[in-house]
Amino acid sequence: MIDIVDVTKRYGPKAAVQDLSLHVPTGELFAFLGPNGAGKTTTIKMLCGLLFPSAGTVQVGGFDLTAEGDKARALISYVPDQPFLYEKLTGREFLQFTADLYGMPPARSREKIAEVVDLFHLDDFVDDLTERYSHGMRQRTVFAAALVHEPRLLIADEPTVGLDPKSVRELKTLLRRLAADGVTVFLSTHTLDIAQELADRIGIIDHGRLIGCGTLADLRKQAAMDGSLEDLFLKITEEAAAEPPSPETAVPGLAR
Amino acid sequence: MGTEHPPVADQARVFRRLRARLFRNALRVALEAGRVRLFSMLLTSLIVAGFTFGVGYYLFDQLAEKKIPVKGSIVASLFDLLFFTLGGMLVFSTGIILYASLFTAPEARYLLSTPARADRIFATKFQGAVAFSSWAFVVLGVPVFLAYGLTAGVPWYFYPLLPVFLLGFVLLPGSVSAMLCLLLVRYMPRNRRQFLVLLSLGLLVLAGVWLVRVGMAARNSLMNNGRELDDLIGQFDLVRSGLAPSHWMTRGVMAAARGDAAGTVLPLALVWTNGLVGYVLAAWVAGRVYRPAYDRLAGGGRGKKVFRPSVLDRVMGALVFYLDRPTRVLVVKDFRTFRRDPTQWALLILFGVLMMIGATNFRQYYKADLAVMDKYAISLMNLGGTAVLLCAGLSRFIYPLISLEGRKFWILGLTPVSRDQILRGKFAFAATGSLLIAEFLILASDLLIGLPPEGLALHALAVAVVALGLSGLNVGLGAYLPNFKETDPSKIVVGFGGTVNMVVGLMFLVSVVGLMVVPFHAAQLARAAHGGAGVSPWVFAGIPVGLALGAAAVVLPLRAGARALNIMEF
Repeated sequence: MIDIVDVTKRYGPKAAVQDLSLHVPTGELFAFLGPNGAGKTTTIKMLCGLLFPSAGTVQVGGFDLTAEGDKARALISYVPDQPFLYEKLTGREFLQFTADLYGMPPARSREKIAEVVDLFHLDDFVDDLTERYSHGMRQRTVFAAALVHEPRLLIADEPTVGLDPKSVRELKTLLRRLAADGVTVFLSTHTLDIAQELADRIGIIDHGRLIGCGTLADLRKQAAMDGSLEDLFLKITEEAAAEPPSPETAVPGLAR
Repeated sequence: MGTEHPPVADQARVFRRLRARLFRNALRVALEAGRVRLFSMLLTSLIVAGFTFGVGYYLFDQLAEKKIPVKGSIVASLFDLLFFTLGGMLVFSTGIILYASLFTAPEARYLLSTPARADRIFATKFQGAVAFSSWAFVVLGVPVFLAYGLTAGVPWYFYPLLPVFLLGFVLLPGSVSAMLCLLLVRYMPRNRRQFLVLLSLGLLVLAGVWLVRVGMAARNSLMNNGRELDDLIGQFDLVRSGLAPSHWMTRGVMAAARGDAAGTVLPLALVWTNGLVGYVLAAWVAGRVYRPAYDRLAGGGRGKKVFRPSVLDRVMGALVFYLDRPTRVLVVKDFRTFRRDPTQWALLILFGVLMMIGATNFRQYYKADLAVMDKYAISLMNLGGTAVLLCAGLSRFIYPLISLEGRKFWILGLTPVSRDQILRGKFAFAATGSLLIAEFLILASDLLIGLPPEGLALHALAVAVVALGLSGLNVGLGAYLPNFKETDPSKIVVGFGGTVNMVVGLMFLVSVVGLMVVPFHAAQLARAAHGGAGVSPWVFAGIPVGLALGAAAVVLPLRAGARALNIMEF
């Protein structure tokens, strides 16, 4: 579903992502981890077609994001860390807008809207204007909108922030179910427990480079230690930090 | 499955429905939750329109009284200049709003991550930006031309044609600014700051050359007692050219006024077809460059910049020594935000430099013993210029201050500083800055001209009243009519509250200058023309009224703003 080949993304002189190659097959739940500023969000934005790679190619469902972006985006749902809702639409109107934007037939969209409203327990507030929603209500509505058009790839950036424990539990179950149904899930998170619990494979990015990728067992082998994902993550990132940074990724003005 | 790309017509319909729903819901909320606010908005709009109509009617009536043909070439030239100036302003305001809507708004990021086509997103944002930037143009333009129609005695179809002309006209500057905005962001050299500085300097030089030429032509005309106006009028050839959209507007409006119905067809067709072609062209450009431009803007980061405290912050803190420490800290915070945004103070410097150039030029005329360009008339113009500069500057920088706190207002709300203090701090910041700038400008330009001490003192006092009053109005109305939803200050300024604030500010400054300064200058001009010993003390009778007006402009809006702020929930 996702094919990232030799991708580099520069912000001016600084390379935010460098020589990244990654293949995520259909139906996999892939967790993407990394410290702050490691290049996770840049990678996600390239996957959504918000940003274009400076070098290399990004493909989703066989469509190149640079050349056939609209076709690729029709397969994708993106739930950002700071989700957007139209303040002067109700939750239901926003779901309808999303369904219409993705070209769903009216009968099917009605059916799906009812389904996601039920799934995310939106009944109590779905007909209120979203400007009155709490953060958790907004997050649930955005997730509902992300799933209403039946995406083939779900990209979620810190999806559990602002959700209560019950909603987190339900979201975890849902994500696993989606993957089992053939939806590819690309999950970026700092909550390592969730990644450990849910992910089929885990990728760790630091300073724009993929420094670890595989199952939990693969990462344990790479780190040459047993332990939780938290232990592995810390060891792998510390080892990577101990290596001298390449001139490409060094931030200008900070070098001594 | 959502794998099929929806056809073009469907996306157009989807966005039309979205806009309709947003409008309907916003209207419903306004009717349900804020009837008083909606009513006061409508009432203020009517008052503004009525005031504009009154001024317009008076001016056109004066032209008619002076036997100047209101359907002739002089009025046509005025319209040419009016449409050209308004068109230029629309290019800038639409461009700024579009930039924010297309490149920095969260909605743009959301829509760009969906299969929505780039040109469709652009079209939606374009319509919003044009409506936002030009509603004041239409609302203020209609009363002016209504007044014209009534004084000139125009046929009935002049009135329905008027909005058709005005609505068509806003498309062209909007399209031009949209294309400029997209192409600049897409192809601007990597070093944006350097490029923008060079571009601004280039524009400044061009404007300077043009101003000098207009000034020289005006001097020639004046030295010949107005007999050689051709040279002066020649400086506006561009505005009056058959290729200028402003001239199509003038031709159409004047044809309608003269009762030449057939004569309106071609200008109307030119305005609308060119506007629509411009829009289609801009959408075509957007389809190709919007996404790459967004990527380029997001990927054009510079190296890390280190911001350090500045001695200027300490000076600002010292200037408001009379405030308690927490309020002083807030004032310094506002000042720091201001000085770190070059787009804010660069405009102010530009205005100031232009004014000083103007004052120096007038001094040259004065030295040339031009009888008409009396120093009193010139210094009055300088005073007017300074007051308008203050009004524009404060409306742009101070009015949006409270709105810009937006959703972060809880930070201030939780500090041990009362909301009254917050407002007082903003007022102190505005008043200190505007007093310093305005007094410097007026005293420097008056000294250049050589105004006598009583004139200097009167100007210093009047400018102080204007600066303090406008500061009170901007801070008070900014709190009374805030727009917490908007993060773009240019949109806040051209929105409803910003326009009301600007109009009220202009009315205030006209009243203060009219009461406090104009009688003195009129008496001096009369004395210069007819001779006489001195001016009557009655010319100063308006000063107490002006002072009272200034006090009211500080106290009443601040009180209303504080009341609104205190009951506001965050």
